[in-house]
Amino acid sequence: MAEELVRMAGITKFYGRVKALENVNLTVNRGEVVGLLGDNGAGKSTLIKVLSGAVPATSGDIFIKGRKVEMKGTPDAIANGIETIYQDSALVTQLSIARNLFLGREPLRGPRWLNRLDLEQMEAVASALLKQVGISKAIPASTPIVALSGGERQAVAIARAMHFDSDLIILDEPTNNLGVAETQGVLHFVRTARDSGHSCVFIAHNIHHVFQVVDRIVVMRRGTVVADDIRPGQSSVAEVERVITGMDA
Amino acid sequence: METQSLAKRLFARPEAGPAILLMLLIVVFTAINPTFLSVLNISNTLAFTVELGLIALAMTLLMTAGEFDLSVGSLFGLTPVLMWTLFNAGTTSLALAFLVAMAVAALIGAVNGWFVTALKIPSFLVTLGMLLVARGTALYITDGFPQRTWSAEGQWVADVLVGSVQLGDLRLYMSLVWFVFFALLLHYVLTGTRVGNWIQAAGGNAGAAAARGVNVARVKVGLFVLSAAMAGLAGVISSIRTSAANPNSGTGYELETIAMVVIGGTALSGGRGTIIGTVIGIFILRLMRNGIVMVGVPGLAYNIFIGAIILGMMALHSWLDRRNQSGG
Repeated sequence: MAEELVRMAGITKFYGRVKALENVNLTVNRGEVVGLLGDNGAGKSTLIKVLSGAVPATSGDIFIKGRKVEMKGTPDAIANGIETIYQDSALVTQLSIARNLFLGREPLRGPRWLNRLDLEQMEAVASALLKQVGISKAIPASTPIVALSGGERQAVAIARAMHFDSDLIILDEPTNNLGVAETQGVLHFVRTARDSGHSCVFIAHNIHHVFQVVDRIVVMRRGTVVADDIRPGQSSVAEVERVITGMDA
Repeated sequence: METQSLAKRLFARPEAGPAILLMLLIVVFTAINPTFLSVLNISNTLAFTVELGLIALAMTLLMTAGEFDLSVGSLFGLTPVLMWTLFNAGTTSLALAFLVAMAVAALIGAVNGWFVTALKIPSFLVTLGMLLVARGTALYITDGFPQRTWSAEGQWVADVLVGSVQLGDLRLYMSLVWFVFFALLLHYVLTGTRVGNWIQAAGGNAGAAAARGVNVARVKVGLFVLSAAMAGLAGVISSIRTSAANPNSGTGYELETIAMVVIGGTALSGGRGTIIGTVIGIFILRLMRNGIVMVGVPGLAYNIFIGAIILGMMALHSWLDRRNQSGG
């Protein structure tokens, strides 16, 4: 029996008078990678924004490990073990990899009042994490993000989520604008995250990318969930496309 | 190989260009007029340089966080006026008057920060408004006349802030000690502390910083308070040293300090700042002002040189940024 990690129940979201989500239910189990698919305007991004604390739901509840939680902002989601990785990775490009990894939770050394960063520890942990997520190039942890490629930036964001033991990592279109090799790198990071016990919600326009890494596919259309148990091994890409476009009826 | 890469790394730093320019200025001015490096000239230049420098140090942190403060020049004028008005009226001791005036300056900084962070008004507009409010207040409470400050003689507050020692021809003020202290402190804060990481993140990508739980608003309000307090302190020091608390003093300092900061390599758009660069920028502008007069260039032409230096340094920093981003 799969252990439930996150459950969104009856989520409805209005932007003014426009209904973006209607009574949406979504469950993610522990160690599961869920692909969230849907056409433009289907409500995927809004649902993810609600789950990551970026926008409040108009109504509905969110349960994490069976406990009802309030998401008033992104820090609430992070505190509840939910980490979201956006297309632009939400990194500070001027700061180094190590400083980004620990931003907001920097380790200190010496007396507390000195507020002194433990840069040595930060860089050592960052280097180990980069290896763990499979960045083969030797990139010093003191390298600023601005000097990294798109795929490497996603890797840093994923490494951060893994290090702080986020239970659920949400990847919002992580392969957009990436080349073939970099895309494969990101998909590899997702597998690494799953193998180390993290759950993931993976959103992408490219169904082929989703098929390569997810355990289950959820499809949204016009603000509602129309299918939530499509298994990549049991369905074809064409079948999923028909569900997305509504041609399956 | 090692030396070459060290040299390459040094030249890639934003402080490298300004440091070379500073050395060039010293060499050229001394070659034309050897008294440029005389003890007396150094002594005179240092006295005023560090007062303006204190403001630029705080401005560096604020600009790294992506904001700037145009009200510093007015606070440089208002704070000593408040202090001396209170003291001369016999209401308080000089020490208490100093604390009250500094508290008012800090409060004005907090108001600037609140407008910027809570009402989401650009700092350019907020601090432009505060520039007028502070200057207007200074002029109103003094009727436009300078406050007498010669009674500072023998007051311990005055000694702590501006006391001086005479070493032969060289006269060193306590303000130099304060400048060195704050330069070291703020360099440490910016590069070696958690708060410094938050300051850089707030200016680099405020949304990402907030998402990681960094209280960006609190960081920025704190820096507005620091900026205002430093401007106030610099004004008080200057008023004691020159024996005049003029409500008009500090006019135009806001642009001069911002110029010092950007010449030193701090990004106007935020996210990257350097105290070492600012210290170099401070000396470039002050030595320039002093040097061009000493070599016989009309003082009125000063702004032409400053403008040219700003443009040249901006072009250099922009080129370095592009080169670093392309991995060159």
